Amino acid sequence: MSHLIQVIILGLLLGGVYALMASGLTLMFGVMRIVNLAHGAFIIAACYVAFFLFRDLGWDPFVSLAVTMPLFFLLGMGVYRALFPRIEGSPRFGEMTVLLTFALALIVEGLLSYVFTGTFRSTDPSYATDAVRIGDFFIPTAQFYSSITSVVLLVALWAFLYFTRTGYAVRATMQNRTAAQIVGVNVRRVSTLSFGIGMALAGASGSLISFLFPFFPARHWQWIAILLALIVLGGLGSLKGAVVGALLLAVAAGVVSDRFGPTWSPMTFFGALFLILLIRPQGLFGHKARVG
Amino acid sequence: MALLELQDVTSGYGYGPDILNGISLSVESGRAYCIIGPNGAGKSTLLKTVAGLLRPRRGQILLDGEPIGGRRPDLVLDSGICYVPQDRSLFPEMSVRENLVMGAFLEPDRGVVSERMGRVFEMFPVLKDRVNQRAGTMSGGEQQMLALGRALMIEPRLLMIDEPSLGLAPQVAEQIFDIIRKLRELEMTLLLVEQNVLKGLACTNWAFLLDLGELRLEAASDEILDDPRIRELYLGRQRAGSQPGAGIGDDT
Repeated sequence: MSHLIQVIILGLLLGGVYALMASGLTLMFGVMRIVNLAHGAFIIAACYVAFFLFRDLGWDPFVSLAVTMPLFFLLGMGVYRALFPRIEGSPRFGEMTVLLTFALALIVEGLLSYVFTGTFRSTDPSYATDAVRIGDFFIPTAQFYSSITSVVLLVALWAFLYFTRTGYAVRATMQNRTAAQIVGVNVRRVSTLSFGIGMALAGASGSLISFLFPFFPARHWQWIAILLALIVLGGLGSLKGAVVGALLLAVAAGVVSDRFGPTWSPMTFFGALFLILLIRPQGLFGHKARVG
Repeated sequence: MALLELQDVTSGYGYGPDILNGISLSVESGRAYCIIGPNGAGKSTLLKTVAGLLRPRRGQILLDGEPIGGRRPDLVLDSGICYVPQDRSLFPEMSVRENLVMGAFLEPDRGVVSERMGRVFEMFPVLKDRVNQRAGTMSGGEQQMLALGRALMIEPRLLMIDEPSLGLAPQVAEQIFDIIRKLRELEMTLLLVEQNVLKGLACTNWAFLLDLGELRLEAASDEILDDPRIRELYLGRQRAGSQPGAGIGDDT
């Protein structure tokens, strides 16, 4: 029993970081209906930023947040402005975003491979392998810190969305784009900002996973597959869903990995994806697509 | 000078064909107008083009003589034109209050916003009772009232309402028409698209008859109601008992 609790604790700690990665992705879908297949690639790119800040300047990965977040925020707004307005209003917008971001993912991966080679990298701050013992359970320090940081960033995101005028505009756009336009929201501006915020969250995730999961450029495919499973489980475009889906699946993957071996851990995500699509295709907190 | 003037406006969706074909019309301040015509005539397209949701392909849209055609919807709203679409377009996850607050998104003065909300509650007491209810869980009639209330939060100079009675039970639709009559008495400039032609004409001063994207006729609303020839030509189906367009969602 206490072993199971230990597995669940580890799962929840990881889940917090997954939630941070998934929230950026689901925000982009929620506001702009963009399925951003390049989200994982940008997370890996942020890992490299954190890695070089750590190795060459000695910056702790948590300090590197101060660089990765604003850097990726600006990069996100630039990418949105450069790529998406020209396909806006296209009857096949959804499909086009998949192709466009798929190409973007390949380009980012190619650039990273060219510049940084395919070598496995990882930041290794002193606490990377530490753990704190509480009663019968132990808590890995690095995962604890990154999970706490994720929670802080998610609470900040929530506060922004629910207590600021711009946050209201973002939520309004998520709920009904036309209605948002009708009440005077500049949806182009909101979209640019939301893409920037989603990318800032990708940047933050990169700093946080740089010491949790060793990375190399092509690693992002594995991440995007997991992240898509998380946000589909939670309901595409639902932030609450992304958080709940991330926690649930991280715990489930932990339990499966503990019982059947780590080989089966990724299976958990895709098994859950199949199940949810069979049983409740709109996801836990999603809404059925409206026709017309 | 006319409040709103359309000069030879042509418009349509995406890369699709022209839906509006060179429409010219003008709207005077303080009067209520009804746009009638069969399905596909371009009634909603006209409203969407004026609201800035569609860009005119040709022609000019003038507000107080200033061209506003092709402006972003938020700028069109800021200049005083508010649009209530056919599907109400509420924020389903937000409460009645939040929806109304969003209606005044462009109004920075909170005092003004709460004052206007008071006036909206006076006109729609049901919204006051439901102030914390989520918009998505309300009935069709209540949603339409919320959509109208939200539009009044910006105190528009021109209010465009698209098929307000669509999908509503007759007695609920009657409440909506009462509201529209009240707005007309308050001398708000109204541009109404209505599938229930007789009702629509009864609560407006002037009517535009659209067909296949062209303006076929314009006349005083009661004149159209009284003219047997026009009734025969355009309102025939109405008398036969079926309302043109009723229950059909595909309206452009």
